[in-house]
Amino acid sequence: MSLVSLVKADSSSAFKKAIERSLSLIGFHFPEGLQRIAVKPNMCLFMDYSTGQTTDPKIVAALIDCIREKASRELDISIVESDTEARKFEHVSTFLGYKKMSQEERVALVNLSEDRSQEVEVKVADHSYQFLLPDTIRNADLFVNVPKMKLHPRAKVSCALKNVYGCNPCPEKSRYHPHLAEAIVGMNKLMKPHLNLVDAVIVQGKGTRKLGLIVASSDPVAIDSAAATIIGANAKKIRVITLAAREGVGNMNYKAAGESLESFAKRFPKRSTVDEIRIKVNKAVLSATKKAGLNAQSF
Amino acid sequence: MGLIGLGGMGKTHFLNSLRIKTVKVVAVADTSRAACQFAKVHGVAKVYDDYAKLLDNPDIDCVAIALPTFLHAQSAVMAAECGKHILLEKPLARNTREGKLIVSKVQKAGVKAMMGYPLRFSDLARIKAEIDGGHLGEVVTAQATDVWRGPFFHLPVSDWWLDPELSGGGALIDLGPHMINLLLWYFGDKIASIKSQLGYRFNMPFEDYALCMIKFKQGTLATVNVGWYCQQNTISIELFGTMKRASAALTSAKSWSRILHTLRVKPFAESLAFYRELNHFVNCIIADRDPSPSAADGLKDLEVISVAYKNQIRED
Repeated sequence: MSLVSLVKADSSSAFKKAIERSLSLIGFHFPEGLQRIAVKPNMCLFMDYSTGQTTDPKIVAALIDCIREKASRELDISIVESDTEARKFEHVSTFLGYKKMSQEERVALVNLSEDRSQEVEVKVADHSYQFLLPDTIRNADLFVNVPKMKLHPRAKVSCALKNVYGCNPCPEKSRYHPHLAEAIVGMNKLMKPHLNLVDAVIVQGKGTRKLGLIVASSDPVAIDSAAATIIGANAKKIRVITLAAREGVGNMNYKAAGESLESFAKRFPKRSTVDEIRIKVNKAVLSATKKAGLNAQSF
Repeated sequence: MGLIGLGGMGKTHFLNSLRIKTVKVVAVADTSRAACQFAKVHGVAKVYDDYAKLLDNPDIDCVAIALPTFLHAQSAVMAAECGKHILLEKPLARNTREGKLIVSKVQKAGVKAMMGYPLRFSDLARIKAEIDGGHLGEVVTAQATDVWRGPFFHLPVSDWWLDPELSGGGALIDLGPHMINLLLWYFGDKIASIKSQLGYRFNMPFEDYALCMIKFKQGTLATVNVGWYCQQNTISIELFGTMKRASAALTSAKSWSRILHTLRVKPFAESLAFYRELNHFVNCIIADRDPSPSAADGLKDLEVISVAYKNQIRED
């Protein structure tokens, strides 16, 4: 059974202490002799942390301070993300405040789509998939995954597992969408984070809520199972989580430490049948307008 | 009519042209293969990858220009020199220098040039009659708001949006023309003072939100609130007169109305303003009337924005 910690962090000034306590609750210690560290926040959209869609750069800055204090001041730290068809790393990292933060913290910003990489074959559910493994992640002594906890239209829950998929250097990520669960699990088998530290301060579930929470675990499957409970979904019905558990990425059974998980779960009402129908209708409309070559919102 | 640029706005004009009997889109110019394919599929006779070739086509009386802002001056001047009437998307240009060039070339060529300001054909335009009719008394204060996600809604975000050299600026020059044009139309173009404060929430080299305060010589004090930071779209006008308050707002299209639009059953709320706008442009050409809002109006709006950029309230 994996350990998942939940610690309150109501404001940015509390982030560092909350991270320290989170790591202590799961018994995580930075390994000796650390040199190269890769940190992967969620920078997937032009929507900042306040929308519940991307990781707050202040949490990453607090994590960097913690690592420097606990491990060493002389570290080669890289904040990593890749390009997608919808947005370029260069623009989104500026927009979300990572460029500014990386200058203040004196850490590198690495676009994994421009990083040197090796092609690697990964087996998921008896099928083989080809992925590129970027050197910055391959050579890292410590890989820290810092996702945002949120609902995702395709993967249902976007948290630790989905955020690692963002390390895929291939910008045309939509080509993996027909097998998204397999692609996410494959990436997680290829590059397993040593630590997952979740920004659940502002969370996009059914509506946006301020939970003021930092969640940590070394197991991405356990953390995603906990995330599903918090945002009102059933982890057992989420394919990416069950597939990841079957493929040995982690354990769906977990023990929560710190704050009571159930008290946060009550903040997000479960989806009603009407909600489900509304989501399906919206998807159908967007798909139809896209097929017709139109941009629905411009009308 | 020829369509120069078949992105989101170009397609809106194209679809609305199908509902207007007095206009036919006979040619499209766009550098995107997908856009050209869209035009061919929808039966457009001529599809060009260069708008200069479209402007050489003698069968074309007028053009709708829906290009990135840095191409407005070049394309509008060429269109005027080719004797084509012009419907030009906002803003008129990146700066007043380019704007003046467009207006002078249009006047010299004797062609009609109209700004693409759909709000002038929406519910927000109806307030004008209330002001002019004296129903509100004297309007003391006015609030004009246009806040949404702006270019960050349209994925992928085109590089030119993120380069102020190409776009002319940020949210103020993008959304400001809509609201400033309405205010000048309501209260006249005599302005006593303009001040602004710009915001840079997203660390980009342009403002992503702005508040402008405009004091009109007839007495009204107006604020213009524009921004690219909000997930919810808000386009609204609120006026406070000595007799009463008036307000109007444009709301997002609902799913069902989007379906109707997709199926081309009928134009609905948001699209209706674009439909009326195009209809007005075409009718003005046929009846040989000057369209309103004109390119000259667009230049006045750009001049207000230019002063707002200069007269910033500094925090220090």
